[in-house]
Amino acid sequence: MIFWKRTLPLTITCVMGVLGALQYYVPDPRSEAFLTGMAEWGRIIGGFAMILGVASLCHVHWGKIRRRAAGWGYSAVMYASMLVTVAVGLAAGGLRGPLVEAGTRFEWIYMYGMVALQGTMFSILAFFVASAAYRAFRARTAEATVLLVAATVVMLGRVPLGELILPPFRALGGWVSFPGIGPLSDWILNVLNAAARRAILIGISVGVIATSLKIIFGIERGYLGGGRD
Amino acid sequence: MAWAQRLLRIDRRVIFLLVAVLTLTFVLRPVGLAIRVSPEVRSIYDYIEKLPAGSVFLLSMDFDPASKPELAPMAVALLRHAFARKLRVMVMTLWVTGTGLAEEIVTSAAREAGKRSGVDYVFLGYTPGTVNVIINMGQDLAKTFPKDYYGKPIDSLPMMRGIKSLRDVQYMISLGAGSPGVEAWYVYGKEKYAFELGGGVTAVSAAGLYPLLQTGQINGLMGGLRGGAEYETLLGRRGVATAGMDAQSATHALIIALILVGNLGYLASRRRGQG
Amino acid sequence: MATDAMLGAWTAAGLTLCMYTFLYKDNPFFKFGEHLYVGVSIGYTIVRIYYDVMLKTLVNPIAEQGRWDLLLPACMGVLVLARFVPRVAWVSRIAFALIVGFGSGAVMPRIISSFILQQVEGTFRPFLRLTPAGGWTWLQANAVVVLVGVVATLFYFFFSIEHRGAVYGAARVGIYFLMISFGAAFGYTVMARMSLLIGRFGDLVRFGGPEFHYASLVMLVLVVLGLGAWERLRRTPSNEQ
Repeated sequence: MIFWKRTLPLTITCVMGVLGALQYYVPDPRSEAFLTGMAEWGRIIGGFAMILGVASLCHVHWGKIRRRAAGWGYSAVMYASMLVTVAVGLAAGGLRGPLVEAGTRFEWIYMYGMVALQGTMFSILAFFVASAAYRAFRARTAEATVLLVAATVVMLGRVPLGELILPPFRALGGWVSFPGIGPLSDWILNVLNAAARRAILIGISVGVIATSLKIIFGIERGYLGGGRD
Repeated sequence: MAWAQRLLRIDRRVIFLLVAVLTLTFVLRPVGLAIRVSPEVRSIYDYIEKLPAGSVFLLSMDFDPASKPELAPMAVALLRHAFARKLRVMVMTLWVTGTGLAEEIVTSAAREAGKRSGVDYVFLGYTPGTVNVIINMGQDLAKTFPKDYYGKPIDSLPMMRGIKSLRDVQYMISLGAGSPGVEAWYVYGKEKYAFELGGGVTAVSAAGLYPLLQTGQINGLMGGLRGGAEYETLLGRRGVATAGMDAQSATHALIIALILVGNLGYLASRRRGQG
Repeated sequence: MATDAMLGAWTAAGLTLCMYTFLYKDNPFFKFGEHLYVGVSIGYTIVRIYYDVMLKTLVNPIAEQGRWDLLLPACMGVLVLARFVPRVAWVSRIAFALIVGFGSGAVMPRIISSFILQQVEGTFRPFLRLTPAGGWTWLQANAVVVLVGVVATLFYFFFSIEHRGAVYGAARVGIYFLMISFGAAFGYTVMARMSLLIGRFGDLVRFGGPEFHYASLVMLVLVVLGLGAWERLRRTPSNEQ
């Protein structure tokens, strides 16, 4: 059983990983066909994997309803709204599809339900970011001060008000000049920020390569899921 | 100093109320401050301006309703521009929950411009697979999207004549709220299939894309509501993004004021503690 | 005004304000809205999986174009679902091994090319534009700053050697570049969050207009009254005991 549960999957991972990497360097029509085929397989299998995520969430809430756990009423709301949405969607598209949402009740649920709810949920963060900025953003150290100054420059430079109150100016025959808060924030973003981000990007890329190699060589096995083997 | 302590003890609900009142005030009564256009947004505009009529423009709306306020105005502005330039427009999304939004945006922009589905533009809709979709589109577009969103075979649409893969796209913009987004379109798309690529992202992601902008891997970048407002300014057409910039100014000023107040109180109490 | 749009405006305004009650404290209105969102979101995803995954990507190509070869990945996809059955969950490993293995292999050369080689090239390319006669411009000055920043930040992240002497100095410079970058990111994050709020308020203002019969205002009053009633109910002596 160990062969089927461990050896075979790890072998498949290794072989597919090596082929996937080599494909990039082989400009042969068969190599391109392999890439097309694997990408297509990935799309279909990935589509089935979406079902896993959905089912897992349903399972959690169904458990709460069954056990009458605290807050099970809300889980019932979740289930009811899910079932209604599915029913309305299938009614709109029919069994054979396609589902064109415009003008249907499904679109109504999406526009006036999901867009409103999801949009509002994330917009609440605006209030908390203001509160957090007030409470936690302190110039305790030199580094924190630099962070604070950079944040302030970018916040002012990216809005019209900042550009109005701190426009470009020259004085003393050009000896003293200020490019304007807008161009200053552009420079911070395009030069200083870009430099640090480039290093972060290179570092992350090296990390991705390391992780990919670990997966291909079977050192990293988390993607296989749990179990004794 | 008692005032220093008071500065540090502003109730968070007062802060919430200030944020709400300021935002509402300037949403109701925008002032109309002028918006300076940054070079990275102008690059996108200029590139579209230079595209000959009939060029293929692919717009991927890789976002969901959570990012609608930032990215939808960009989408509308880009579609208006592309339709005005008589480009052949393909629209799609890699995010499943963004499908309805993408459809609504493209159909209303097309209706406004008098454009017809299948003739002037195509809405491909959503297909699963994230980066695998990009790879498949690069190899064979018709196999990836055999039909458009409305169920019409791709090969039968006049607009799709001559478009076999991403290699036939002249310009592509990804409006991305995360992953998959602009980086995925570069790594799996432009890097191999050699189309020009621009990016529009939420402000959260914008700072991280400047390295790609600087190397020319993307030819332009629109960041957040400001990016959309700048594009609207270039089009000479005030829209949702421009209208929101005054409220943006006010809230930024409030945040800076709160940071200053917090630090004033902190420094004063620290000095008092040392004294 | 169409009935659908009117009803939608009232629903959207009510749900929006229910969610905003979280700013006061966690309460049944917010919880209701939160769970409604999860349900609608899952329902929407299920519907799109049916039409865009099952029908568009599998059933229609097989039935209409004779793409019987797609049955193979479909079988693999079914193997993924074996995760639900603990006794045969191991079967799903084969499908995951296939896509994760290929994905890991495919990403490596692309990442090396896109995010390492081209980024390094981009760091040095401005120096190739130095002209003997022209001297230095802002382009080259900025390029020096970028080069210093990239190298210094990379030094900071190099934890395999001890940060002493010149390495420590470089890492310190790197930290300051990182602080500037994080400050810029914070500034942009504030912008992002405020934009979302502006968007929602824009919708609330629109729904509060006379064409929607002041939906936002009426719903605001109802939600505030509801919240007050809930708070009062919560604080009655029997509940407090």
